Amino acid sequence: MTQTLKALGQLALLWAIYLGGNWLVAAVGLPIPGNVVGVLALFSLLCLGVVKLSHVEMAADFLLKHLVFFFVPIAVGLMEWGGVFYDYGLVLAAAILVSAVLPLLAVGGLSQLLRRGRG
Amino acid sequence: MGVTIFAVVVTLAAYLGTRHLYLRYRHPLLNVVALSAGLIIIALVAARIPYNQYVPAKDLMTALLGPATVGLAVPLYRHRGLLLRFGPAILGSVVLGAFLAMLSASLMTQWGGLPRDVVMSMLPKGVSIPFAVEIARIYNGIPALTAAFVVATGTLGSLLGGWLLNLARIDDPVARGLALGTVSHGQGTATALMEGELQGAMAGLAMILSGIFTAGLAPLAVWLLGVMA
Repeated sequence: MTQTLKALGQLALLWAIYLGGNWLVAAVGLPIPGNVVGVLALFSLLCLGVVKLSHVEMAADFLLKHLVFFFVPIAVGLMEWGGVFYDYGLVLAAAILVSAVLPLLAVGGLSQLLRRGRG
Repeated sequence: MGVTIFAVVVTLAAYLGTRHLYLRYRHPLLNVVALSAGLIIIALVAARIPYNQYVPAKDLMTALLGPATVGLAVPLYRHRGLLLRFGPAILGSVVLGAFLAMLSASLMTQWGGLPRDVVMSMLPKGVSIPFAVEIARIYNGIPALTAAFVVATGTLGSLLGGWLLNLARIDDPVARGLALGTVSHGQGTATALMEGELQGAMAGLAMILSGIFTAGLAPLAVWLLGVMA
């Protein structure tokens, strides 16, 4: 019981940081998602020691374990967009292939080079 | 109300079933998001439920996505030692990779004559779904399309990534992890974890950082798209 309450409290803290990120983005008019600001805010708070790992890790670990679950209902929206793949399948496939291979080799190559450069 | 309960039950069943399959065989083609969504769409069509009646269930089930995404700061913080140790390699390569992925994907679809909303859905598809969907929204992309492109990229990267890196003689474990995580986010991280713990940790870091960098660099990429139109 106390464990459940603790997890709910941690969830409330994560939620508050998320809402804070959204609020900041809306208030300043930044073209950046509120959840990105939320991640950076929580990371900063952890680094500064304002929030301890033990204050959030129970809820965060559980939610991250099932993070993929939240993507499923979003992907169901494809129901309405099947035609796009029918009409533009080839261009989409080519774009996805090139934009996966190019950065893969660029990131791997550059980071290997930077690591070797430092000895 | 009845439809919403049905939709939640079907979604949970599809998720738990495909997750069980994936955990058993761990093959990149057994993608939980793609398989679950496919099964749910089949169930909705069979039950003659239009998408707009699924939306309340979707809103209910994704209510916790925001706090869950903020929770990504926890693994980032746990690996802060690696972040400091490999700082230059991580920053330089992930920034480059995030930008290249964004620009190549959106430029190719723009040149291919696709409508603006599809191009904008393609723009952030190199990063994890919660970041990609929110970035797409800012530029009037379509969240569901973005999710599909993200999954396609992740699957492709996890299937071919290791082989391509071998071909290019990229054998450094840090470099391999960063490449897989930057390009194929969560799916690439799962693949990198199978190569080793260091590869997996680097991929996890790269996945989160590329989401942040992509969000920061998106205005520049959108501006460049306008210039090259």
